[in-house]
Amino acid sequence: MTAGGRYGHALFAVALGLCAAVMPARGDVYQEPEAFIAEVFGSKPAPKVLWLTQDIQAQAVAILSHPPVQLRQRYWSDAHKSVWILEEVGKEEFITAGFVVADGRIEHVRVLVYRESRGGEVRYPAFLRQFRNSKLAPDNTLDRSIDGIAGATLSVGAMERMAWLALFFDRMSRQ
Amino acid sequence: MLFFLILAVTGLILNHGAGLGLDGRYVHAGWLARWYGIQSEPPREAFRSGHHVLVAANGRWLLDGKISGERLPQPVGLIELADIFVVASETALYLFREDGELIEKLERGALPGVPVRALGSSARGIVLRTASGVFASADALSWRPSTQRSVLWSAPAELSVSQRRVYEEALTPGVSVQQLLLDLHSGRFAGRYGPVFVDLLALLLAAVSLTGAWLFLVPRLHRGRH
Repeated sequence: MTAGGRYGHALFAVALGLCAAVMPARGDVYQEPEAFIAEVFGSKPAPKVLWLTQDIQAQAVAILSHPPVQLRQRYWSDAHKSVWILEEVGKEEFITAGFVVADGRIEHVRVLVYRESRGGEVRYPAFLRQFRNSKLAPDNTLDRSIDGIAGATLSVGAMERMAWLALFFDRMSRQ
Repeated sequence: MLFFLILAVTGLILNHGAGLGLDGRYVHAGWLARWYGIQSEPPREAFRSGHHVLVAANGRWLLDGKISGERLPQPVGLIELADIFVVASETALYLFREDGELIEKLERGALPGVPVRALGSSARGIVLRTASGVFASADALSWRPSTQRSVLWSAPAELSVSQRRVYEEALTPGVSVQQLLLDLHSGRFAGRYGPVFVDLLALLLAAVSLTGAWLFLVPRLHRGRH
């Protein structure tokens, strides 16, 4: 048996996987994050940062079920609203979503980049409308449950966690 | 028996793969990489700045002696500032705390231009040479075009042959646990004929089930007739 025959299709798949691994996935870009920010504010304001102190990190872990990947979160805001561009893994890849929070409530959500192979239905307005006007409940959780989408359970979960985190970060940024 | 056990156990784990985060976990072993035919690229150079050393190969970074993740791009520079250090790739900038914890990863929208050609430091902070010019920033939040001449540009240093061997071992490419279990489950791990073997085992298992049911039911049916 030749060496090529011995390894077979699996090795080809892994080689492809390795190539994909080394090259970061760009995915389906529905809107560039900077265009989303400019759309919300009319122009792109200077970014601000929220430093994730130990208390904030602990709460973020409770929301995400894993530690946040970085120690400071960039956001854009004016007196009433803030914009958060967040990333969370659905099944295997990051979903990038933009959240507009106004007066402690989610005003608008948009999926900006979707990299998973399945579950892209989370970008549809019919699904995203569920987040409108959601806020933090007194126990610091999202004040409503979000209806799932068959075949997109993990992406729906990721969107829910990001919405919750955006509301929490907005509250922390205004303290 | 062992094959059926492997099929059952791998199937069970794969069913909960997402919850267990198996796709994000990797097995790094030289023999496994060779078995899969993955070419291991030896590192050729290292970036050094102050106390920090970065060696990269096969999508992995060895940063100050610690592996800092998978699927990472090839770095173009490393600089140390007062209380942070910064690594640049062509499309992203990574800000680390002195202890190696990631402060922030800046991508295209937060950078003054891509691709990043070089990373440097000056009295004002971080300096980037990009396709659209040279920019400086003190906090990596806002960037201004820079005409500074006193920039210390990060440049890689060639590794010796012995250093390459040491680092190559540490930077062995990995196979995701999910991929490995999937290949064990489907038989692909054994090569081209592995899936055929697993198919035959599945047919054998089906035959054993059917004949078992036959042997159980037929005597009872006959007994019922007499």
